Amino acid sequence: MNRAALLWRVASFAVAAGFVALWQLIANLKLVSPVFLPGPDRAWASLVRGFSSGDLWSKLAGTLEHMAYGWLAASIAGIAIGAIIGSSRRMRTYVAPSLEFLRPLPVSAIIPVAIAMLGLTQAMALFVIAFGAIWPIMLATIHGFAAVEPRLYEVARSLQMSRLAVIFKIALPSASPDILAGMRLSLTVALILSVVCEILAGLDGLGHWVLLSARAFRSADLFAGVILLGVTGYVTSVAMSLAEHRLLAWQAAQR
Amino acid sequence: MASAAKRLEVLSGAATPQIAFDGVTLVLGGKTIIENLSLGVQPGEFLCIVGASGCGKTTALRLAAGLYQPTSGKVNFDGQPMREPRREIAIVFQDYGKALLPWRTAAGNVSLALEAGGMTSAERPARIEELLRTVGLPDHASKYPSEMSGGMQQRLQIARCLAQEPKTLLMDEPFGALDAMTRQGLQDEVLSLVAASGATVIFVTHDLDEAIYLGDRVIGLLPHPGRIGIELPVNLPRPRDQLSTREHPEFLRLRRQLFDFIKATEQ
Repeated sequence: MNRAALLWRVASFAVAAGFVALWQLIANLKLVSPVFLPGPDRAWASLVRGFSSGDLWSKLAGTLEHMAYGWLAASIAGIAIGAIIGSSRRMRTYVAPSLEFLRPLPVSAIIPVAIAMLGLTQAMALFVIAFGAIWPIMLATIHGFAAVEPRLYEVARSLQMSRLAVIFKIALPSASPDILAGMRLSLTVALILSVVCEILAGLDGLGHWVLLSARAFRSADLFAGVILLGVTGYVTSVAMSLAEHRLLAWQAAQR
Repeated sequence: MASAAKRLEVLSGAATPQIAFDGVTLVLGGKTIIENLSLGVQPGEFLCIVGASGCGKTTALRLAAGLYQPTSGKVNFDGQPMREPRREIAIVFQDYGKALLPWRTAAGNVSLALEAGGMTSAERPARIEELLRTVGLPDHASKYPSEMSGGMQQRLQIARCLAQEPKTLLMDEPFGALDAMTRQGLQDEVLSLVAASGATVIFVTHDLDEAIYLGDRVIGLLPHPGRIGIELPVNLPRPRDQLSTREHPEFLRLRRQLFDFIKATEQ
């Protein structure tokens, strides 16, 4: 990392620290009732307490599990369906209008339907999370597959490569930058929907924890949960960036 | 010298053609691109096709590759009708930047052809190294195409084509995008590679000097629709040399004849 990048990083941490300090000040001055707004000190204490008693660990694990299963299901299905649609122009023409109808549909509108069909179960959560997270992945995959350099297909033909080999050695790697970008967007969607499902269906997780804490006016616990959700989003996004960077090292060479 | 023996066969017309166009017509989008083209390419022959732009040279090459099917007439390879591209026929595309896999290193790009040929992963590294050495890229195995110059990328594409162990090498203006020095170096390398492997070559170019310098025979196409306008056997001694061959009276005579032909087609 060079000097300028380091300075920017330090500056961004300073801004974050400034916000925490401001929050502490507002809490100390009791501008908002402590029943609703704990200071960072109390939120931190609650975090430490939650983790040492193990309560927060199990809630965090619950949310991560919902998120991971939903996201993985969305990724597998999204890439598979996207590949099928993207590799055929006819499929794209036939299916595109239906996709355009389904895509802008708010996933929250699907939740009552899912609850009616599957009940307040883990299966319902999996379905809803996967349904919401599949769109960015599927659309990115369709685009990636449609944009494969036609010359490479001619190379594949002249090498008499099998259909499977063409998909795995030409189309998928060529579409991988698009697919990974879609997967990164879906990660956020999966986290949001995990929390929503936990709140609505009472499933074990941080969403449920936040809801119960709010109902009991345990503002410190509530904030601890919210902070933990923020950290989860941040950490998963950073992990995804690292994975992208590693998998797409060849693109860095191109620039 | 196996290739010399083959050349004799070519000249005496004893062998059956490796690639034979028989009354080939190709209509694309209602437009006749190639009309009634008949042409035999002998095993081991180096055939160059020249012509004004839009005369269907590249199209003829794509027909020979099996990437296009003729509207009427036949294209035969070793006496068998060509229905689809085959591994014995390798194609060197002009746009090397698009024909290489940007996510694979030089070694990986060569490996693609070996994988398609069913070579085991244990055998591949040695063969890849050998092929990269053949085209003069032994120290660039772990580079990505984007880290290589145009000339190096085209060498890499040639290495991948050699990995197919082709009977026929189809080259579509392979040096069209390269500078003059790189171009001459690659011309000589292609000549020695072809002499070593005994492969048949169809080489499309718009550079008339290049066609005469490389070929055993040069065919000039007439445009709209594409058909043969001139056919010149090149009786220049081999191995060819960038200076003495280009100064040879026969070279100059052929060059004159070909230039006159192209000039006439453009009017």
